[in-house]
Amino acid sequence: MTIATDSREISTTSQRRQPRVILQNVSTDPDPNYDVPLWGISIRLQPGELLLVRLERGHLRTPLADLALGLIEPRQGRICFNGDDWQLLSAARAASLRGRCGRVFAEQGWCAGLSVNANICLAQQHHSMRPLAEIETEAAALARFFGLPGLPLGTPTQTRAGDLNRAALVRAFLGRPELIILEHPTRNLYPEIMPPLLNALRRARNKGTAVIWTTCDAEIWDEPAVNASQRGTMFGSRMQLIKKEN
Amino acid sequence: MSDTHPANDSLNIWQELNYLAAMLWAILATSAQRQTWVRTVRSELVLQIYSSGVQAIRFVLYVSIAIGISVVAQSLVWMQKIGQPKLLGPLLVTVLIREAVPVLTNLLAIGRNGTTMTGELGQMSISGEIRVLDSQGLDPFIYLVLPRVLGLTISVFCLNLFFLIGSFVSGYLFSTLLTPQVGDAASFFQSILDSIDGLDLVNFLIKTLLPALFTGIICCHTGLSVRGSAAKLPAAIKRALANSVRALFLTSSLVSLLTYI
Repeated sequence: MTIATDSREISTTSQRRQPRVILQNVSTDPDPNYDVPLWGISIRLQPGELLLVRLERGHLRTPLADLALGLIEPRQGRICFNGDDWQLLSAARAASLRGRCGRVFAEQGWCAGLSVNANICLAQQHHSMRPLAEIETEAAALARFFGLPGLPLGTPTQTRAGDLNRAALVRAFLGRPELIILEHPTRNLYPEIMPPLLNALRRARNKGTAVIWTTCDAEIWDEPAVNASQRGTMFGSRMQLIKKEN
Repeated sequence: MSDTHPANDSLNIWQELNYLAAMLWAILATSAQRQTWVRTVRSELVLQIYSSGVQAIRFVLYVSIAIGISVVAQSLVWMQKIGQPKLLGPLLVTVLIREAVPVLTNLLAIGRNGTTMTGELGQMSISGEIRVLDSQGLDPFIYLVLPRVLGLTISVFCLNLFFLIGSFVSGYLFSTLLTPQVGDAASFFQSILDSIDGLDLVNFLIKTLLPALFTGIICCHTGLSVRGSAAKLPAAIKRALANSVRALFLTSSLVSLLTYI
């Protein structure tokens, strides 16, 4: 293990005390980009915790992921990532923090002008000094782990939907993110994707990654192997949150 | 007050000018910071220079040869009428370096690259790709706008030089065919160099760089502002082109007035 990796381990350990994500009484305005606004949502997610959110049928697009990443401003409430309030951060600092997060998007999540391979490696290339070959090697290993023969080299429109969904998982887990947001990660892939996905999640959570997983599927919600630390059920704009007792 | 009221128009123009100035400042200030130039941004800059500069060289050379021939033919006729064919060089400097070349190259850049830039960013905005980039911590201003604007400006500057070389060389060759009084190539180009003073260089630089920066900013901003459906793209492209051309001629006239009067 390199010195750089060791120092990151230490910083991860020292950050364990403060929550990875805090949403404090957050409400949003109605927005045509989302199926439903949020009202009075409070979440406190520690490093290594997983929040499984069950959405109402037809309400696939919620502002939860964009709020957690500080992409939209809430009408009221406060959102923090690693102790930093998104609204108080400079654009550069906020972009840098978002570089530490992985995400599987609910809808279109690809740049059409880039190959899937380039899409996967883009954020790591932008935010880290790692050589491209090293990033691609890690991405290729993750791709094989999630069932792809290697990194897809075509453009997103040339790639099959199932392969794109697997590639989305590769991108989300690439580079040891501190927060992973999975919006319907099993679509087109259930149930075959569950073993590698749960394995990848367990490994990431052991390293301090917090996870927010949104789903509409009852099968996922009832799956005990997901081992969620907190479970939230959306009803309309409200969320009923249940914490797992240790 | 209706939208078409003259006061509203003035306010809109004032707001547009303010926006252009703010964006220009933001681009210059951000590009001066070392941490901006991460490898993804550098590679976007190279791509932009390739597409708007390198790929346009042949086209610009064709136009420059045509302009060189037509300007020289006209000039030569008039110089011979007044019996001063040796003044061809200084006249070409006045016509080409001071006025025609910066405006023409920028017009070519607007037509060729402004359309592409607005369309590309508009499509990205409509399909949600901007949000995808933002989610991954790639600031659209730094990753998309900055390299496009600077790449276009660098390309226009280099294309200007190609244009000048093409038009002068074609102009000289064509003039030697028409009259032997032009003299040898060395004295022709020396007369051109002698006619250029410091003010011409400042004028040439400002007239080249400023409109290119404005074109990049206007086209990127218009493209990123497109919302809703792809049906809105053609109107956005038309608006971006009209505003870029307006900014080009306004800047060129202002710079000419400030430099030479």
